[in-house]
Amino acid sequence: METSQLLLNGFATVLQPENLFFTFLGCFIGTLIGVLPGIGPSAGTAMLIPVAAVLSPTQAIIMLSGIYYGTMYGGTITSVLVNVPGEAASAITCIDGHAMAKKGRAGPALAVAAIGSFIGGTVATVGLVLVAVPLAQYALKFGPPEFFCLMVVGLSLVTGLAGKSLARALLSAVLGLLIAMVGIDPVMGAPRFTFGRVELLDGLGVVPVLMGLFGVGEILLNAEKRAAPIIKMSLRSLMPNATEARQSVGPIARGTAVGFFLGLIPGVGAVVPTFISYILERKLSKRPETFGQGAIAGVAGPETANNAYANAALIPLFAIGIPGSPTIAILMSAFMIHGVIPGPFLFQEHPTVVWAVVASLYVGSVILLILNLPLIPLWVAILKIPYSILFALILAFCVVGAYSLASSSFDVGVMLAFGIVGYCFKKLDIPLAPLALTLILGPLMERGLRQSLEMSQGDFMIFFTRPISATLLAVAAVLVAATCLNIARSVKEETEV
Amino acid sequence: MNRVYQAASGLFLVLALYIAAKSLTDLQFYTRLGPGPGFFPFCLAIGLGLLAVSMFYTATFGDRQPLALDFVPDRAGLARLAATILAIGAVALAMEPVGFRLTMFAFVMFLLFAFGNRNIVLMLIVAFAGSFGIFALFVDLLKVTLPIGGLGI
Repeated sequence: METSQLLLNGFATVLQPENLFFTFLGCFIGTLIGVLPGIGPSAGTAMLIPVAAVLSPTQAIIMLSGIYYGTMYGGTITSVLVNVPGEAASAITCIDGHAMAKKGRAGPALAVAAIGSFIGGTVATVGLVLVAVPLAQYALKFGPPEFFCLMVVGLSLVTGLAGKSLARALLSAVLGLLIAMVGIDPVMGAPRFTFGRVELLDGLGVVPVLMGLFGVGEILLNAEKRAAPIIKMSLRSLMPNATEARQSVGPIARGTAVGFFLGLIPGVGAVVPTFISYILERKLSKRPETFGQGAIAGVAGPETANNAYANAALIPLFAIGIPGSPTIAILMSAFMIHGVIPGPFLFQEHPTVVWAVVASLYVGSVILLILNLPLIPLWVAILKIPYSILFALILAFCVVGAYSLASSSFDVGVMLAFGIVGYCFKKLDIPLAPLALTLILGPLMERGLRQSLEMSQGDFMIFFTRPISATLLAVAAVLVAATCLNIARSVKEETEV
Repeated sequence: MNRVYQAASGLFLVLALYIAAKSLTDLQFYTRLGPGPGFFPFCLAIGLGLLAVSMFYTATFGDRQPLALDFVPDRAGLARLAATILAIGAVALAMEPVGFRLTMFAFVMFLLFAFGNRNIVLMLIVAFAGSFGIFALFVDLLKVTLPIGGLGI
């Protein structure tokens, strides 16, 4: 069947009232999660996985995808109105978005961000349709050695998530792989690191682990501080004036391109496109001194890049099964709960689900555009709820999320344990994203390695003699070397300053 | 910060040694067909060990990094942190025998108190929403299973 026909079928599925409701629900919850500081998209998506488990695969994935890209919209609202980014990718919007709000231009800032996000998200979805299918068809040529090497590329991209220290990022990645080793060995069926506990035979649940690391860890970090009072900001008009509209066109176009191309690279993270877009706009601006004082280009560019990135980042997941960020890794685990394995076979084996999800990205973008602007007063009202109440309720939702997937209070304990780990990692400045990615990729990588070595009767040369796997290994080596060079250069620059 | 990194690298090294030993003693390292269940964990343990040593080396011989001002929370912050951890731990233990609704009611009340709320009416409303409300939403509406205790609540 033609791609356009499959996409139309996807729209027909999404526009059924029940599915439309779940798209709306996902967008609404996503915006709410984005609005609330202290609960990021990863924890928010993980929290809703148990609910998704009782829905049909299409409804579940549509809803979780809505949460994923909805958070990108929601994060802007708090950045502009209260100078607190709801999620990391919106941090850069605080600079000019909040400066605009202080001048009484919060409405136009939010409107331009919403319109830019809509355009960026929609264009990226068109790109997804054009790129993902050919990429997946090419990946169909892959056997276990190629898959193993692809996972190595995925892991080497983890080095891109390294903050100041590559060693700490790698340490986090290795710990994720080790956590993934717990449970029954996938080839011989031997129990590993289960300590005689039946609950561990299936391994540590991805949802409780990620919810602990990202949700509980963040709450523990906030619990030790007194929450800052929220600044009240009035909202007069939402309409940008003619000058603001004209000044936003270029940044929106460039933000779309930046977000889309960076979204194709797993491991870049949502923060990078927004920062690159901001720097680009400041460099291209005829009046760079206005940046930081409320320049609309400083809102339009990064916000567009953010949403274009979010949708484009689904391409590596759909086409080759590599999640590019922790939130996409959680989304991948939701796919897997329903027996839908992202990767080259996804478009062949589950066309109904995947095309419905792609169509839901378009529909969701429209819903978010409509939903966001009129509901801004509601989001502002939610922000006035004291932090203590929000934390207690968020933790209650986390407990439900951790417990209900396997109906096991052991998983609540796992969530708590990893919450403490997440808290300690944040204190030690050890990035959590590599751990989240390797936790998901670890079992796939081990299976690929062992199947490959069975094929070659233990000969490791199998990875170097096959052209695709050898090329992928070379790419991985280049990526690691490039990251090492970048870090060394930035350390040298810091010491010189 | 250097001392903290030294201590952390020590912990990671101990963990690496434990995993390496366990992989070699309890799990098969290599089989006739190729790597056994212990192969991958052993390789990873070696990697973890090397990274821990590298972290220790950087912390000992690298630049001095001052401890962040908010690295150790103040006494009130520490109390809130401990209260949150203890409360979640208690929920994990009590939820199945006592039931979701009663456990969460007590959990939310306790957390609100620990975070400085003293408005009893507000606390009761939030605790009710966080326990009976969430139960109704997830169990009755979304058909998710949550535990019911000995009292049938």
